[in-house]
Amino acid sequence: MSTATSKPIKGSHWSRILTIATHAFTQLVRMKVFYFLAIFAVIAIASNFFDLPQHEGPEAVGANVLRSIKSWSLGAMTLFSVVLAIVATALLLPKDVEDRTLYTILAKPVPRFDYLAGKLLGVLLLIFVSLALMDILMVGVLQIRTSMVIEQQQAMAKGMGWTQEAINSLRVETEANGANASLQGAVLAVFLRASIMASLALLISTFSTSTLFTTIVSFLIYFIGHFQADAREVYLHSEQAGEGVFARIGALLFSLVLPDFQLFNVIDAVIEGQVMPLMELGKLVVVAGYYAVFFTVASWFIFSDKEF
Amino acid sequence: MNIWWKSAILAGALLALGGARLPFEAGLTRELQDVGLMSPAMGISTRDRIGQTSSVVALGGLRTLVATFLNLRAFTFFTEQRWSDLADTFDTIVDLAPRTRYYWETGSWHLAYNAASYYQQDSKLPPLRRREAWRSSILQGRAFLERGIRNNPNDWRLHAALGYLLSDPNKFPAFRSLPETFAAAAEAYQKSSATGEALPYVRRAGFYSLARVENREAEALAMARTLYAEGVENRTPTLLMLLLVLEAHENPSMDVASRAIELFGTSEKAYAALSGHWQRTRERFPVFGVATALESLETILSIPKEKSIYNRPLPPPFDPNDLFEK
Repeated sequence: MSTATSKPIKGSHWSRILTIATHAFTQLVRMKVFYFLAIFAVIAIASNFFDLPQHEGPEAVGANVLRSIKSWSLGAMTLFSVVLAIVATALLLPKDVEDRTLYTILAKPVPRFDYLAGKLLGVLLLIFVSLALMDILMVGVLQIRTSMVIEQQQAMAKGMGWTQEAINSLRVETEANGANASLQGAVLAVFLRASIMASLALLISTFSTSTLFTTIVSFLIYFIGHFQADAREVYLHSEQAGEGVFARIGALLFSLVLPDFQLFNVIDAVIEGQVMPLMELGKLVVVAGYYAVFFTVASWFIFSDKEF
Repeated sequence: MNIWWKSAILAGALLALGGARLPFEAGLTRELQDVGLMSPAMGISTRDRIGQTSSVVALGGLRTLVATFLNLRAFTFFTEQRWSDLADTFDTIVDLAPRTRYYWETGSWHLAYNAASYYQQDSKLPPLRRREAWRSSILQGRAFLERGIRNNPNDWRLHAALGYLLSDPNKFPAFRSLPETFAAAAEAYQKSSATGEALPYVRRAGFYSLARVENREAEALAMARTLYAEGVENRTPTLLMLLLVLEAHENPSMDVASRAIELFGTSEKAYAALSGHWQRTRERFPVFGVATALESLETILSIPKEKSIYNRPLPPPFDPNDLFEK
């Protein structure tokens, strides 16, 4: 079946995309994907109990738990968002074919690009809402625990006769390990990586023959994409290292074709207490935007005259 | 358009746009590394050590999570006193999370304090091997901390932890040259203060180390005077005593007893402080003029000979042989 192009197309691209996105979002919500939030809640609360006996001075008491909460929570967010991005996107097209919804939609004057963009937006909306809910939970747990740690430290510092200046400095240091703007930047980085994965899974699903194939290939690309930076380094420094021509070409192809997922590993540094400058976050948004747009356009290119 | 043409166009676009983004991504990677947002790539040895599953997880952007798991494993090794496994695990942990101070401090603490104490009391080993294992654990802990400092040069706590380790009297025999160790401790504390974030005690601790470095007495005295002038919170008994002995070193003809009374308030307090300092043999503090001052104060306070500080035995300096020969 091909798209009916003779009829005039009503409504704007955006309204059509939003309608399809809302439908895709509702479709995914009905698959009870939000149940995983209960697991996340358990993880966020359980991470509070990994308070190993500490050896540091009394001024550092409890600070490690804050890092543990961030590490577990952001780890779980990364895992959930990537799995959700791949599986949800891989499911969408085959499910529409199976339910015959696809035929109904494409029989209407809906450009295929709008259909794909709407589906992708629906998945991104789902990931965004899931991450926002997990973020709220993480920040809540972190805030409560940070205030407990600060209270404990202040009592200790006053008991030891610290000056007000030293007490304030300790407070600032502990708050830096709590919920702050950089942590929100890290959550955004998690979302950006999941967005790339969703658009990539969309591209694969346009020519894939099954959900399983799309899922497996997407996961493979996800993990291999973390080596892209290594391949790029090999290519850029291969002349000095005396690499052969084939190794150079291989490394170049690898780095040209695959996305660089290492860039989004900035979340590790944020967990370790580094500040994320807005400029760097902006550049990550640009990179993710490039991949998302490229993969979506490529999906449309493949899907535009696909027969069903 | 047939599928082959489409694939060819798509591949061309992928390569062309890939070529355009390659320099941008390479530049961004360098930028992120410069601002400390990206750790160096995980080495092959680390990938081998953590196993395939954890490697995949760590490569998937969850390095700190893997480090958290390994920290729990290291705690088990600690409770089971498997020191070699513990050291290996901490090496891996810090490869995964090189900017987390906690791991550097914990790893070093386990090696220099817990493992060292364990070997000190390990009755299964002959004394010579116990001593060597004890010494080697302390040096391993020091090296680990120094590696942490190289990775985090602006972390005041790591510098302070090194200063603390090097000025711990229980560890002195593990280091070859005591003057060099005191100088290294003073330097560590000084670097900690230089970050501008250290707590006030760090500068005092740095001074306590500097005061024990031979031929740097003038520098130490200048520092003591600065700390003393800064306020009462710095005027700890140790600082007052070291100020006194360093002044006595600078001016050997000084009336140390009178200066001690001036610093400590009364003859009784001065005598108690000087007696305490005289007995602190393990810490190797300088004692310039202390003996003369004690003699003068004993005369002033009419202390009978049998109660004289000189009739109290001095605690012997810490000698690990005492522990290892038991």
